[in-house]
Amino acid sequence: MTDASLPNGGAKSRHGSLTSVDARTKKRNTAEKRFRAYGVVAIATGILFLMVLLYAIITSGAGAFQQTFIKVPVYLDPAKLDKKGERNIDDIKKVSTFGYNPLIQNAVLKAVEDAGIETPLKKSKDMKALISASAAAQVRSSVIENPALIGQTVDFKFLASSRVDGYLKDRVKREDLARDKNIDAEHLDIVDGLMEAGVLKKTFNPAFIFGADASESRAEQAGIGVSMIGSFFMMLVVLFLALPIGVAASIYLEEFAPKNRWTDLIEVNISNLAAVPSIVFGILGLAVFIQFIHLPQSAPLVGGLVLTLMTLPTIIISTRASLKSVPPSIRDAALGVGASKMQSVFHHVLPLAAPGILTGTIIGLAQALGETAPLLLIGMVGYIASNAPDGIASGLLDPNSAMPAQIYEWAKRADPAYYERAWGGIIILLIFLVTMNTLAVFLRRRFERRW
Amino acid sequence: MYDAPNTLGDTVDQTETKISARNVQVFYGDNHAIKDVNVDIENKSVTAFIGPSGCGKSTFLRCINRMNDTIDICRVEGDILLDGEDICDKKVDPVQLRAKVGMVFQKPNPFPKSIYDNVAYGPRIHGLAKNKADLDEIVEKSLRRGAIWNEVKDRLHAPGTGLSGGQQQRLCIARAIATEPEVLLMDEPCSALDPIATAQVEELIDELRHQYALVIVTHSMQQAARVSQKTAFFHLGNLVEYGDTSQIFTNPKDERTESYITGRIG
Repeated sequence: MTDASLPNGGAKSRHGSLTSVDARTKKRNTAEKRFRAYGVVAIATGILFLMVLLYAIITSGAGAFQQTFIKVPVYLDPAKLDKKGERNIDDIKKVSTFGYNPLIQNAVLKAVEDAGIETPLKKSKDMKALISASAAAQVRSSVIENPALIGQTVDFKFLASSRVDGYLKDRVKREDLARDKNIDAEHLDIVDGLMEAGVLKKTFNPAFIFGADASESRAEQAGIGVSMIGSFFMMLVVLFLALPIGVAASIYLEEFAPKNRWTDLIEVNISNLAAVPSIVFGILGLAVFIQFIHLPQSAPLVGGLVLTLMTLPTIIISTRASLKSVPPSIRDAALGVGASKMQSVFHHVLPLAAPGILTGTIIGLAQALGETAPLLLIGMVGYIASNAPDGIASGLLDPNSAMPAQIYEWAKRADPAYYERAWGGIIILLIFLVTMNTLAVFLRRRFERRW
Repeated sequence: MYDAPNTLGDTVDQTETKISARNVQVFYGDNHAIKDVNVDIENKSVTAFIGPSGCGKSTFLRCINRMNDTIDICRVEGDILLDGEDICDKKVDPVQLRAKVGMVFQKPNPFPKSIYDNVAYGPRIHGLAKNKADLDEIVEKSLRRGAIWNEVKDRLHAPGTGLSGGQQQRLCIARAIATEPEVLLMDEPCSALDPIATAQVEELIDELRHQYALVIVTHSMQQAARVSQKTAFFHLGNLVEYGDTSQIFTNPKDERTESYITGRIG
């Protein structure tokens, strides 16, 4: 009605023409563009760092999954292994790994000669630098397992020493040999020759994934498998303790507890606990579980208990958040038809909150899986010469390590071969974490309900 | 001082009082939300609570099945008698009370479960069905009484949340009557519905009053006039006037009631 009285259209209106942008709008638009640009830059930087990280991990760690093996026929000399010739298992066991070393070295020397390699190293002892110290134990255990092998020539696949492996992976360079007491240029010539002859081969090494840790001088033998089992047992403890305790505590606090100063205090403290450095939980575990309750040191049970303490706040906070996100109308509906408080929680609220609770739990577990600091204090970091445990009890109570602790331990050791294994361990740990997080996302998508 | 029971005296003929409230006070913390309400609600009839927003009508409704218990800061004083028994008594278990006094909420709130499970939930937790066949029968009967059976009989196992708003609300009514309550409280049951769904729900309310004592809170005066036999007008926490619906809407005794129904306040 009033518009009709404006003869010249919008151009003369208080706001000016719509077709030209006024100064104020221009300023606001530039500000918005600038802000968007900041966002893009931030994300690009993040992606760049992620790429650099992934590239570094994969290039440094991929080598750990491959190992150099040397395949030679070994003559199991009865004169050395069973002097009495009775094939008595007790007599055979008396021969230690030292008795086997010459046989293996002879076999390698023979392989070198067969390959027609010209070398000044003519003695069998000179071959020691080429093979892993684990070779003798490998032969000895197969002989003890099957004494009938004595007197025969058997094909064995030995781990090459970490220097040979390092040379083939460009870690050990000829220029650096002057400072290396373990291997000479002549050895490397042999290695080149054996590579050509096909006696030496770089292949996938399952022992790195499934094997146990090895001593400092046998980097080529070390594997992450047993510490993986240690991590698994710790996760079991965390899952069976933290999930029920955390969920029960959250349900009580969220649904039943009166809202007063005490529950406020508890709430604040739970939030604070989530931010407490994990090493604090470690020293608490040391004081309480080991020094006071006298649980064994280095045991996954203790590790699991400490990680449970650490994970509880995470689980409680995420569970409470997902309980809170269930609309109150659902609670009213249940109470309205005469359900008790507990029925309304367990029949209606909890199923709706379940995806959130599961996600929180898995994220908490993933966090616990990657935790190292508290394990330092309860003795799960260090060279723990354990083999795979033979039961749940020994799995929980026998000394073991955990994946991140094993990685830390390797990174600390002098031999550069261990550095590579540390990166390889990181790859395995990351695969676990990515799998767990993917599972969390999947569960959330799968069970998410709309209302 | 307005005296509600007096006006009631001359209208009681062959009706019985189901709920009687005496000197009910409700406090939210320091806020005095309901002031000295006295009201008698008849069985097998519809009683409407009307009044402007925040006048306390919903709060009073929620006292009748003690839903206010779930609010920590809420405190109820006075007596509310259901069939002569004080429901505010410490010995009364609210769970038992709510089986007897059903409730339908403002926003349709079916459980995110199947239609069947929505209705069967109440009978299940109260142990009303001996076996599956029994339960099937209860579900069918409730859905029929909720006037939604024909629309959902072919998809009883589809989620209740997939229904339209009006259907959801009738499902909620069916769910409430499946537990065989004696009183049905409705807190603005049509406020989230369109006129067609509202008409369906109102028709349903009219049918249900033959079996239950219904109490309905509504913002729509037309709705109160259409469905109720008795009307109570609340204002600022006071029960201003209570009487036959026809009398309240045609010949209100209190000035405030008249102002409200003619649209001058509220």
